[in-house]
Amino acid sequence: MNAQVSTIAGEPLPQELHDLLNSSDGAAFEQALDVLVRQREQRMFRALGLLARDLHDAVRRLGGDLAQEGVPGSVADARQHLQDVLEMSSQAAHRTLDFAERMRPQAEAVAENANAVIDGTAEGDVAHVLAKQAQSFANECREGLADFVVAQSWQDLAGQRIKKVVNFIGSVEHSLLELVSLTGALANGEAAAAPVKVTSQDEADRLLSEFGF
Amino acid sequence: MKILVVDDFSTMRRIVRNLLVELGFSNPLIQEADDGENALTMLRANAFDLVVTDWNMPNMTGIDLLRAIRAEPALKGMPVLMVTAENNRDQIIAAAQAGVNGYIVKPFTAVTLQEKLTKIFERLAASGATA
Repeated sequence: MNAQVSTIAGEPLPQELHDLLNSSDGAAFEQALDVLVRQREQRMFRALGLLARDLHDAVRRLGGDLAQEGVPGSVADARQHLQDVLEMSSQAAHRTLDFAERMRPQAEAVAENANAVIDGTAEGDVAHVLAKQAQSFANECREGLADFVVAQSWQDLAGQRIKKVVNFIGSVEHSLLELVSLTGALANGEAAAAPVKVTSQDEADRLLSEFGF
Repeated sequence: MKILVVDDFSTMRRIVRNLLVELGFSNPLIQEADDGENALTMLRANAFDLVVTDWNMPNMTGIDLLRAIRAEPALKGMPVLMVTAENNRDQIIAAAQAGVNGYIVKPFTAVTLQEKLTKIFERLAASGATA
């Protein structure tokens, strides 16, 4: 029995416990065991306390570093910058599409008119030659403009990546926020009961600003 | 032919619309939705002949839209062409299992779109003839 207990604990039993185990006083044994467990708990709590203080300091430093970065001034700013890029790229792509949609019917009209001239003039005629050139150019334009349109899909592909980064920044921000409130709670000696949830960006910003973000 | 183009990026909706017009489809008969949820509402309210949808969208994704279409008796025969940047093998398989009619990986060209559309309509005609 003794041998078994000391094997499980991984270290030899204190002499006091060892003696008690061999005694018939059950109450005294339990009390001694309680004292031992409490001692171990206190050691663990002290270690946790130190860890929490280190973590809190680290998060405070991180908060300070982020605040001193300048531009972008905060995580939320960084996200907003990316949103702006998304919006600007969308507007630019739409402007290009406006242009392509405006020019295509014109190219079609030139091709049609040139066709009429080709039909109505003799081969070798100056107008005939010119109309043929115009028709070929108009057709080239039509194809080119179609490629133009398809090429704008870069905005969708790049935009999807930007959206992913925006979401990623959001989750980092959320984790940081949880970390900050957790270390705050620990440093104040409060129990970090339920996970803190924020429901809006304003709330998040308010909370972060309390910690110097 | 009434076509519903579903994509959360307005640029891509416009590009797909342009390509469809280029391929000879009527511009006024093409309508747009910015996510699966809105698309489903539009599909229930109006008769469409074809859905061209993106995969990644907020609220309801393209694959969920496809599954919702296949689960609804009034819509389940609707041809659905998926146009997406998702080229993950599992996703393509998921789309196939959900009953997609065609799958185009972005970026794509008018030629690819035409090929896939032609294939979809050929298959539909063939299954219509044998049914």
